[in-house]
Amino acid sequence: MSQWELAWRRLKMNKAALAGLVIVGVIGVMALLDQLIALYPPNCNVGTTPNCPNPGPKPDVWAIGIPPSWSFPFGTNLAGQDVYSQIVYGARAAFLVGIGATAIALAIATLIGLVAGYFGGWVDNVLMRLTEVVLVLPFFLILLVFLRILFTLSPGASGGLLVIILVIGAFSWPGPARIIRGEVLRVREFEYVAASRQIGASGFRILFRHLFPNTLHIIIVLSTLQIAGSILTEAAVSFLGFGDPNSITWGRQLADASEAVKQAWWAGLAPGIFITLLVMGFNLLGNGLRDALDPRLRE
Amino acid sequence: MSLIKYLIRRSLYLIPVFLGITLLVFSIERLAGDPVQIATFGNTHITEDQRQRIRQYYGLDKPVYLQYLHWLSELLVLNLGDSFGGGSVSNLVGQGILATLELQLLGLFLSLVIAIPIGIYSAKRRYSVLDVTLSSSALVGTSIPISFMGIAFILIFGYYLNLFPSGGAQSTIQSQYLYGNVILDQLWHLTLPTLVYTFAILAPVVLLVRSSMLEVLRQDYILAARASGLGDRAILYKHALRNALIPIVTYVGLYFGGLLAGAPVTETVFNWPGVGALFVVKTNVLDFPVIQGVVVLITLMTLVANLVTDLTYAYIDPRIRID
Repeated sequence: MSQWELAWRRLKMNKAALAGLVIVGVIGVMALLDQLIALYPPNCNVGTTPNCPNPGPKPDVWAIGIPPSWSFPFGTNLAGQDVYSQIVYGARAAFLVGIGATAIALAIATLIGLVAGYFGGWVDNVLMRLTEVVLVLPFFLILLVFLRILFTLSPGASGGLLVIILVIGAFSWPGPARIIRGEVLRVREFEYVAASRQIGASGFRILFRHLFPNTLHIIIVLSTLQIAGSILTEAAVSFLGFGDPNSITWGRQLADASEAVKQAWWAGLAPGIFITLLVMGFNLLGNGLRDALDPRLRE
Repeated sequence: MSLIKYLIRRSLYLIPVFLGITLLVFSIERLAGDPVQIATFGNTHITEDQRQRIRQYYGLDKPVYLQYLHWLSELLVLNLGDSFGGGSVSNLVGQGILATLELQLLGLFLSLVIAIPIGIYSAKRRYSVLDVTLSSSALVGTSIPISFMGIAFILIFGYYLNLFPSGGAQSTIQSQYLYGNVILDQLWHLTLPTLVYTFAILAPVVLLVRSSMLEVLRQDYILAARASGLGDRAILYKHALRNALIPIVTYVGLYFGGLLAGAPVTETVFNWPGVGALFVVKTNVLDFPVIQGVVVLITLMTLVANLVTDLTYAYIDPRIRID
């Protein structure tokens, strides 16, 4: 039985991790199916446009701020949009931001962690000083500045979400890089690495055939936690009004609803709960994976 | 003696880090082009001649390296220059930082005082009903967006129950003061934001204390202490906690900077007059001198927090020597 099968077997016995997997899976399916399971088209003000008539007795009455009902499971917001449909469309953005930013951050972190840990010496020294500098930078503030500059210079720019992904990715690698480096420092002392070097394996081969696979379990765990963090960051950015005006995100829905929370609290409740659920799903999955993959915690 | 030497050495080492950061922060505002052009972009009332005068006033017409050196030398005497909106940046930031620290430090203190006993209890009674309840609530707490929690608190306690004001640091007019007393009024305004902050910091610390204590309680010296007849309380609080604190100190030190950077959200939710809310307002109008000032200040405080963390290690664990 392979290591991965063993890990999967351990993960299956962990109820919390399974719950996380189910949450992530269900919201993932929601993101994939969006057009099929949404009740109304994206950004549609129900009752004001012909393609989404009001399901009530009068099809052309603007459905503003309607509490949750059979026609509108999570109610409508003050722009007359069906909150449930907007949640469905927002799921895709949540996964895009989470996975996109994490892919960038962990790619940089893995490269820096592997190289610094394996080569040591001045290479390690330079890379770790760089890591410390980026770690200290308040990247959330810098992200806000970048976004405001972007939207000032080109109002209605379509790349807002991409900028958020790039900046979160470009600044989130230092923490993971340090952890991966630490693991490389441990693994590179093992006999099989020395043996591999004895029979003449190149540094490149040792890095990618031996060190990388043996740090993969840590990279996977860090990824799930980074996805959770990135989703929260997007929510915070959008809440402050710096989000991408052209994308439907849960963060922006929460922000819009908070302006009128006294008139339609349900419009903020659903995005808030979905952000919490998805972030919790990834956190649960990450914790479960750590227990399942880390051989040192094995009993 | 060695402590002073250590402090000096660490501070010397922080200088290149700090210079690197100031350079990065300084270049951010120049990355996208001329700051005056960006800040006044789309404003048809400003002529090119006026833009040139603004540049001259703020010294932005000089070569970039001279601007940087000037900014850096003024920084050393705590002068952050003038805001585009008028007024000294040092004054604006100085007023904000006190309000920010009041909230942050109070929240940090309260959450540690509450989280450590909860975490210890959870580790001691692992998988008990209370442990499962507490650690799953902590998990929800780490996953909830702080803006969502803030709005929910304002809606419930501020609007529906009408127990606390929904924003600001004190009432605007004297007749609205709580019991006519300004200090009581300020405390009254402080309650909701502090609650939200405390919950936000509390949750991850509970989980960390729990896992860290579980790790320590497995070790042989705990068994030895138990075998020699020590009581539960002495084992948990004297022997185990001291060792379990190391990762907690790391967390608090590392995330203090993160907490400061997270200040914009909480302060905006509660309309709190700190640097975070100031940053949001000034970033919206691209007031670059203020943006630079806040970023540098928060970076400096993060560096100091890291230094304090290192010193705390040595205090908690004598095996970690500072040299």
